[in-house]
Amino acid sequence: MAQRIEPDLQFIKELQEVGGESLKKCYQCATCSVACPISPSANPYPRKEMVWAQWGLRDKLLNNPDIWLCHNCGTCSDLCPRGAKPGDLLAALRNMAYQRINPLPCIGKWMTSAKYLPILAGIPALLYLVLWIISANFVAGSAFPVAEGGKIVYGELFYELYFIDPVFVTLAVIVAGVFFVGVRNLIASLKPEGQVLKLGPGADKSWVCCLIDVIKEEVLTHKKFQDCGADKADRKIGHMALFYGFVCLAVVTGLLAAGFWTQMILGWVGIHVHNPFHTPMSFANPNKWLAIVGAVLLLTGLVLLTVRRLSLDPKKSASNYYDWYLLGVIWAVAVTGVLSMLLRLSGVATLAFPMYYLHLIAVFMLFAYLPWSKLGHLVYRTAALTYVRYMGR
Amino acid sequence: MSNSILVVGGGFSGITAALEAAEVGYEVFIVEKGPYLGGRVAQLNKYFPKLCPPSCGLEIQFQRIKKNPNVKFFTLAEVTSVSGSAGNYTVKVKIKPRYVGPAGADLHELAQELSADVPNPFEFGLSNRKALYMDVPFAFPYRYVLDRDKLTRDDENLLAKSIYLDLNDTEREIELTVGSIVLATGWKPYDVTNLSNLGAGSVADCISNMQMERLAAASGPTGGQIVRPSDGKAPKSVAFVQCAGSRDQNHLNYCSYICCMASLKQARYVREQYPDAKVTIFYIDLRTPERYQKFAQVTLADDGITAVKGKVAAVEQGAGQVLVTVEDAVRGAKYQQGFDLVVLATGMQPSLAGEKTPFGAMVDEDGFVIAGAEQGIFAAGCAKKPLDVMKSAQSATGAALKAIQTVRGR
Repeated sequence: MAQRIEPDLQFIKELQEVGGESLKKCYQCATCSVACPISPSANPYPRKEMVWAQWGLRDKLLNNPDIWLCHNCGTCSDLCPRGAKPGDLLAALRNMAYQRINPLPCIGKWMTSAKYLPILAGIPALLYLVLWIISANFVAGSAFPVAEGGKIVYGELFYELYFIDPVFVTLAVIVAGVFFVGVRNLIASLKPEGQVLKLGPGADKSWVCCLIDVIKEEVLTHKKFQDCGADKADRKIGHMALFYGFVCLAVVTGLLAAGFWTQMILGWVGIHVHNPFHTPMSFANPNKWLAIVGAVLLLTGLVLLTVRRLSLDPKKSASNYYDWYLLGVIWAVAVTGVLSMLLRLSGVATLAFPMYYLHLIAVFMLFAYLPWSKLGHLVYRTAALTYVRYMGR
Repeated sequence: MSNSILVVGGGFSGITAALEAAEVGYEVFIVEKGPYLGGRVAQLNKYFPKLCPPSCGLEIQFQRIKKNPNVKFFTLAEVTSVSGSAGNYTVKVKIKPRYVGPAGADLHELAQELSADVPNPFEFGLSNRKALYMDVPFAFPYRYVLDRDKLTRDDENLLAKSIYLDLNDTEREIELTVGSIVLATGWKPYDVTNLSNLGAGSVADCISNMQMERLAAASGPTGGQIVRPSDGKAPKSVAFVQCAGSRDQNHLNYCSYICCMASLKQARYVREQYPDAKVTIFYIDLRTPERYQKFAQVTLADDGITAVKGKVAAVEQGAGQVLVTVEDAVRGAKYQQGFDLVVLATGMQPSLAGEKTPFGAMVDEDGFVIAGAEQGIFAAGCAKKPLDVMKSAQSATGAALKAIQTVRGR
């Protein structure tokens, strides 16, 4: 049956800009689909995505859950006889998805090039500068307040009640809302018209069961990374260290907030309790230990993933701004975090507060722009994996 | 100034270039590294375009050489140095001893008396030979050759008694003065041990296409029976893996031109020998240019031969079979299938790739010769690019004409 192909030339150009620049080198030999250790036998990827990309078949590519099945190990690109970099193309399609499915696509655009970095960094820099000035004049009484005994307490300047939690709770609500809309858009794009035809094992499972299975079997264990091959072990360990580093730090932050607000709310009704997680925590506090474990895991993961990315053969796989932006922001969070602690302990207020200010900027950049950055895969890949399980692919 | 022409390589291209120049009156020297002329063609079962056995085309060429006093050839010979410039080159040639006199005696029975069996590179490891040997029955010069290093003490004593051998033969060096040089150094099959995902040569019943030629050749190790190297059994299913190393930036970054036709031809060998056998050819594109298109059509009309679009990306040893993994790109299905015999359609690598040559840095990154009128050095045949026999001959004729223009002046 003859089929009329209507290539979307603009789409091909956009795809090349976000990391798929080698897509036209592909000659459809299908080595990639076989080389991929996790590609399924029916309609395997990424060969079909390569030809869709060359033909500019925008709708087929954007409505394709397979781009989220790929965990970007790069084996396909290593064996590609043409240097067409199929792995990079799937990453580019995901980058494009972050721009497409989220509201406020302009933030997604700011992720594409270093020239927008001043905007992304400028927003939190300005916000926290204003808060710093307000606090110095009306709360702390000094731009570099020093507590009794010459101790530095960041809460004296950036008091949790006024400055930290309101900002991040607001951000969390906004980010959650963006993710809600984004996931809805993503699933809508993956869904064929009409009813979803469920095939294969898992056809009787509900959404929630599929989600739990994904988290249990894939996210927590990094099973897909394992399947990507033993030669990519550094990538699995690096990603896992980063993932569990963030989990540790999320628990630490959660306990800090829980302790603070419990004490605060009970205080309002006249019950006075001790907050075991009052900051700065001492080194005897188990929550501090967890924070240190988290920081070490984060740095370990960063080193492994950065070294790996630097050692990639540019003929086989290229790193683009998206990749470096995310790694850079996580590096900034980790390094400023560790330095904030060290400078606080060293007691140099004029260095410690600026470092903490930089840390706040970095953390803001990581969380506020989460859905539009590569880290959005945290939610979107999970959603797509849940969907394909639900479908039975 | 010299009017003579040096041809390096005595395969089909070298012989053709030499004869074309000699038959219009120029003195030509052929320097061949091996013990016989005929090169890769002599290893084939049949060759294009007419599917003749190699003895057919080569015999005519050998006759022309014998009858033409203008052609002088040296076997077991290698160029060691080249000096001078276009029109006036001094070439030093080292000639290894053959140890066998020019009587043309049939030493088959004597060779069989030797005790040691040594690996036979002419058969690509499919069989062994004696140290006193002749590659094929139609070899030219029709003269045995001795691999002296591979003799045992007893063998040496045995051969010392023969009047047809001279164990004291020594290496010689000669000097030639020529006006122009034709490089017809040919090609070598791409080394399968580099193809790590295709078994890297460690799967017994996964052979190369040149091994298939030897299996199918009447002069080959099995007398022309296509059988599995592992157990000598007739294969019921055969897979051809196209582009095994060719069109691949990790291996040979170019199309080797002839492998598609070679596999179609070999599919016919299999089907002619085993009417019940099934053949599958896994390809990226079937490249059958010009009149070869018809050959492909006729071959693929056979119900026993299937062509699947999709490059095999994994070859492994299975239980009694060889497993290939492929995505059929037309159906979009990835699957693994077992075959009794798998043939890797390995490509052509120029013989000069990775070699130090006395001709200066005149090869490109792939090892193909880049030369021209300025140096009076011309490439012929597969030293220049991958070609079939017919196009090699055309290329050799062109190179001969250019060489003549160099020594005569236009």
